[in-house]
Amino acid sequence: MERILEKDRSQLKSFLFALVIVAIAFMLIFIAFGVDSVVPGIHDLFHDFRHSALGMPCH
Amino acid sequence: MDIDIKDWKKGIIAGLVAGTIWGWVALATNWVTGFFPLEESLLYELITFGIGGAVFGTVAAGFLVLTRQHLPFKHLLPKAIMLSTSLWLLLYFTGAWLSATDHERYHPVMDETIQGLALSVVMGGLIWIFWRRPVKAAQ
Repeated sequence: MERILEKDRSQLKSFLFALVIVAIAFMLIFIAFGVDSVVPGIHDLFHDFRHSALGMPCH
Repeated sequence: MDIDIKDWKKGIIAGLVAGTIWGWVALATNWVTGFFPLEESLLYELITFGIGGAVFGTVAAGFLVLTRQHLPFKHLLPKAIMLSTSLWLLLYFTGAWLSATDHERYHPVMDETIQGLALSVVMGGLIWIFWRRPVKAAQ
């Protein structure tokens, strides 16, 4: 019983960890392309970073 | 499918640290080259470049954890460089596609593009350095 609960907890931990990674990956997309429609203000917030560090096409 | 949390944690921490440092390296590089005239204060740039770099580094290191056993190199350094550069190319070509569809908003600048590509190679090197550090400490 204890072993089953432990396995469930481990799987939940893995799932939450995977969710965090996916969220960070989405954040990279929002930062790289300045997706204001999803995260308002992100375009201006990372404008210099987008140009200088990533060299992304921007206005 | 179970995830090896320890392996992931090691990779993500390496990416987070390498990425933050990479952001500041990018800021210093741009200050030297002057390719893009920065518009905000130094403190603001240090914070946003640090956060942006940490996000980029974490994703690159995440892909390294996930795919490193399947990549066609023996050593970790070329694997890390290949992944960080591929991730940058993926973002860049998506940006180029956006530029083709909406040129008023997105247009590429060659200087910044070359700087970004060179910095993505540096990112691979930094991930490699911070990936190896905890391994050395454990020995």
